[in-house]
Amino acid sequence: MFSRWNWVACGFYLMLNICSPDASSGLVQSCGHIIPESPVLALGSNFTALCILNESCLDFGNIYASQIIWKIKNKVVPKEQYREINRTVSSVTFNDTSSLATPLTCNILADGQIEQNIYGITVTVGLAPEKPRNLSCIVHQRSRFTYVMTCTWNPGRHTFLDTQFRLRYSWPEEIFPDCVPKDVNNSCTVTDIQFFVNTEIWVEASNALGKAESDHLVVDPIDIVKPLSPQNVSVSSEVVPTVLKLFWENWISDAVMTLKFNIRYRIVGDANWMEVPSEDTASPRTSFIVQGLRPYTEYVFSIRCMKEDGEGYWSDWSEEKTGITPEDQPSKGPPIWRIIDTSHSPASWTVHLIWKALKPFEANGVILQYEVTVRDKSSLSSPVKKYNVTSTNYTLQLQEGTYEVTLIARNSVGASPPSVLLIPASNSKAPVKNLRTLPKHDKLWVGWTAPNSYVLKYVVEWCLVSSSSDCVIEWQIAPGDVQGIDLEGIKPFKCYLITVYPLYADGQGSGQSVKAYLKQDRPSKGPTVQTKKVGKAEAVLTWNHLTVEEQNGFIRNYTILYKTIDGNETVVTVDPSKTEYTLSSLTSDTLYTVRMMASTDNGSRTGPDFTFTTQKFGKGEIEAIVVPVCLAFLLMVLLGVLFCFNKRDLIKKHIWPIVPDPSKSNIAQWSPQVPAKHNFNSKDQMYPEGSFTDVSVVEIEADDKKSFSEQDLKPFDLLKKEKSTSEGHSSGIGGSSCMSSPRQSVSDSDEGETTQNTSSTVQYSTVVLNGYRDQTPLHVFSRSESTQPLLDSEERSEDHSGGADSTPQRQQYFRQNGGQDETSTDRPCFERAKQITHANEGDLVGFVQLQISGQSSQPLGLGMEKNTQEPALSSVLQTCTEGQTVRPETVEENPLSVDEMPKSYLPQTVRQGGYMPQ
Amino acid sequence: MAAADSPSAALRRDLCSRGIRLAGKMRADVVDLLDAYVEQQGLDASASVAAVEGVPLAAVERWDEQTGTQRLLQNLAAYRAFRALLAQMLEEQREQLGEADAGLGRALAALLLQVSAFAYHLEELLRLESRGIPGEEEGDEEEEDGPPPPPRLSLFEQKLRGLGVLRELAQWAVRSVRDLRQLAKPSPATGAA
Repeated sequence: MFSRWNWVACGFYLMLNICSPDASSGLVQSCGHIIPESPVLALGSNFTALCILNESCLDFGNIYASQIIWKIKNKVVPKEQYREINRTVSSVTFNDTSSLATPLTCNILADGQIEQNIYGITVTVGLAPEKPRNLSCIVHQRSRFTYVMTCTWNPGRHTFLDTQFRLRYSWPEEIFPDCVPKDVNNSCTVTDIQFFVNTEIWVEASNALGKAESDHLVVDPIDIVKPLSPQNVSVSSEVVPTVLKLFWENWISDAVMTLKFNIRYRIVGDANWMEVPSEDTASPRTSFIVQGLRPYTEYVFSIRCMKEDGEGYWSDWSEEKTGITPEDQPSKGPPIWRIIDTSHSPASWTVHLIWKALKPFEANGVILQYEVTVRDKSSLSSPVKKYNVTSTNYTLQLQEGTYEVTLIARNSVGASPPSVLLIPASNSKAPVKNLRTLPKHDKLWVGWTAPNSYVLKYVVEWCLVSSSSDCVIEWQIAPGDVQGIDLEGIKPFKCYLITVYPLYADGQGSGQSVKAYLKQDRPSKGPTVQTKKVGKAEAVLTWNHLTVEEQNGFIRNYTILYKTIDGNETVVTVDPSKTEYTLSSLTSDTLYTVRMMASTDNGSRTGPDFTFTTQKFGKGEIEAIVVPVCLAFLLMVLLGVLFCFNKRDLIKKHIWPIVPDPSKSNIAQWSPQVPAKHNFNSKDQMYPEGSFTDVSVVEIEADDKKSFSEQDLKPFDLLKKEKSTSEGHSSGIGGSSCMSSPRQSVSDSDEGETTQNTSSTVQYSTVVLNGYRDQTPLHVFSRSESTQPLLDSEERSEDHSGGADSTPQRQQYFRQNGGQDETSTDRPCFERAKQITHANEGDLVGFVQLQISGQSSQPLGLGMEKNTQEPALSSVLQTCTEGQTVRPETVEENPLSVDEMPKSYLPQTVRQGGYMPQ
Repeated sequence: MAAADSPSAALRRDLCSRGIRLAGKMRADVVDLLDAYVEQQGLDASASVAAVEGVPLAAVERWDEQTGTQRLLQNLAAYRAFRALLAQMLEEQREQLGEADAGLGRALAALLLQVSAFAYHLEELLRLESRGIPGEEEGDEEEEDGPPPPPRLSLFEQKLRGLGVLRELAQWAVRSVRDLRQLAKPSPATGAA
């Protein structure tokens, strides 16, 4: 029971100790402490700390050193590092302080495993300062009387501790205040510097772990001065055009130190400085005359200074001041060249004199004018011509010859030496040899081999070759002793034409030219290829050369690449001079794709694809097929014709059956009036115009129907059928046969009764061909009153074969005889047919428009039909009959004709082509 | 010749050279300071000032007959006196003007340093001459034993005395240059002295 209360009291006591921040000095005393108190330790060293318990706490709380636990920042230190020195002291050892951290605490594990803190210390780990190295000092002049000394040094490694650096300096018998750097640890500036006394300077570095001192520097501050640069620099020109005088002021008095100087200068626009030799400016001064300058050139000057003996530092360069040297006369004549234009006529030259403006260092001033003098060397008597020019070119009109051109440049001071150019009548001298070029970075070197003769100088012409503009010539003169120059301003990937002329004392050599590139690239585009001609197995390709702007280099070759859709690509290399190439061994009727590639030394570029299809047949193949086929056809035709000719009789029999010639019949022979020979085909002879004079109409009894055979009636049946299908319309033939007027038709219908009366008889007519106007009539047709049927064979053949030919003749015939009905006969037949149809509309079913041709007397059939089937239509049918169809009305209305006709009812003698009823 | 080539001879020559340049600079600085001082103190540049007590006069008879050691001793005595006087002037200056005219104070301090430096040069030369250097304490003791310190001067008197010190220092600077040039010459007279 007592023990428990004892422990409680002990714990309360410890709590008081711990909770009291000022336990050691306050009312409550601490139960222990650590030795050393807040140490500063060297990094990497070993360290031992002791925790010492107070005796009073031992008695009161039963705590001992064996119960002590060391902790680093709440992390328990391994017990292997502990050592119990005695009952109240425990130590902890660290072999390397780098493992230490703050705080290091001493704790005790009281009863009940309650950990109580006894004491804690702050541990600082760092490094001692290193010896400062590389101490150096410089005295800067701030103003005329103010100098400050700035010393710098290498502070060495980082110490991790607060390290103080001090710059110390002293005289042997006087120590000055230390210079403590602010914010830095490697430099310090001293303001009270005294010259001419050796001053000892050093740096001290110190921290909690130690102190270090740099090497001592003993120096007279005057020997480490960097003075201010000279001020108020000015430049003035002198009479001599090659000198300028500089003035300046020094910041530092000679009493302090004497100075030496550096003077540098450059031409305005030139970045390169030149310096006056240092030995010329090694003494104190405030002015200097700079010599060897170019006339009329603006220079920039700058000066610096330092202690005369070389101890110390150079000042900064002064501000830059410029000055211009006076003008001088031009040092050389302008380079001159000419371009001769003989395009008008070879004997008359247009000479363009061109010269280059002198460079500033040659012109030595402003060129006011040029004097051009031209002397004709081929004619001593011709006067010397002088021209004053302000530009750099002049054009002369000269006759072909040898001239000497002299050029002088003038400025305000004087004239230049003359430049002489000899223009010979011809460039007959030896040219340069082996002209070649070589790119050199951004310049193009042009080289040549000199001719054997002595050359005064060379003229190198060059121009940018362009397809769109003229060659603008640039030129340059090279001395006669060189065999190559660098051309500047040459653009890469451009073609230049370079020409070199050697100039001799007594003439000029012909120019040698070469094309060159500074740098080549692959062409900017490829050639566009197309076909010129495509055959079965070959194709002629054409293309245009790339323009010089597109080439970007020398075209070394063209490459043609062609292939079928599914075939391998074939490559053909073509000479660059060609613009045409024939692809051979192609497959017929095949689609080819071709493209073309142009190559320079630096690459290639392919043009667009072009496709073409080879032909199916080669040249002449079609002709070789067609011509034999045609020949064979012709041969067959010929053979057929021959065959037909040979077999004509047989064929004729089949095609044209033999028609009996009535003229050769016995009747013909019987008629004494029939001539022995007559021509059936000669219709003109048969029916000369107006040969028909009379038509006699014979009424035939319709009752005599039986006298017609069945065959005779068939054709009419057919006709009837035809007409039934084309009702109301008359054919051309029918129309031409409608010779009667409507009025007549009406009258016909009105007189239908009469017709019926007359139609009961078969009408035969006899046509008597009287001579027209007292001419002897050839044919006489007379209507027969015979009822004897006609010859079957003759009628049929006449109906089919001869009808067409005789139709016009019959029309003529009707016109002549129907003269009073001219107006009505002009109207188309179908109109008349309509009128008729009007009148007999209900009876048109049986309408038949008969076309009876030939010399047969068709009224037989007609009358028969009218009489037997449709008598009402008889008049209509009569008007639509043709040829020798005879209308009774007409006959009745033309009594004259009837009267003139010989009214004979006997068969009439047919003189020619006629026939006689049997 | 051998002596001339010895380290001591080189050191002597260096000390002389440096001393000459220091004296020259001191002269230039004193001249500049005189103008500033006259203007600052409101004095007349042409004001006549009595000889400063305790400072040997720069002007001396038979100067060319003096030995090197004599020259050095006289110079050392003069510059030690100047050092004390300038320190006193600097103190008075600070008392009078405080920090109002720091420029004049800095110039006086710089001049004081130069005087000290020159005195150090002279001491080094005397050591090279193998001559003992008179101790300042002795002088002080003498001064302490001698007449009592002068009564405190009025402000104007202080200004006039300061002007006198600077003028005399300017004189001494010129003489010192000449003395050191004389010493720098490798004359047998110097060795005999």
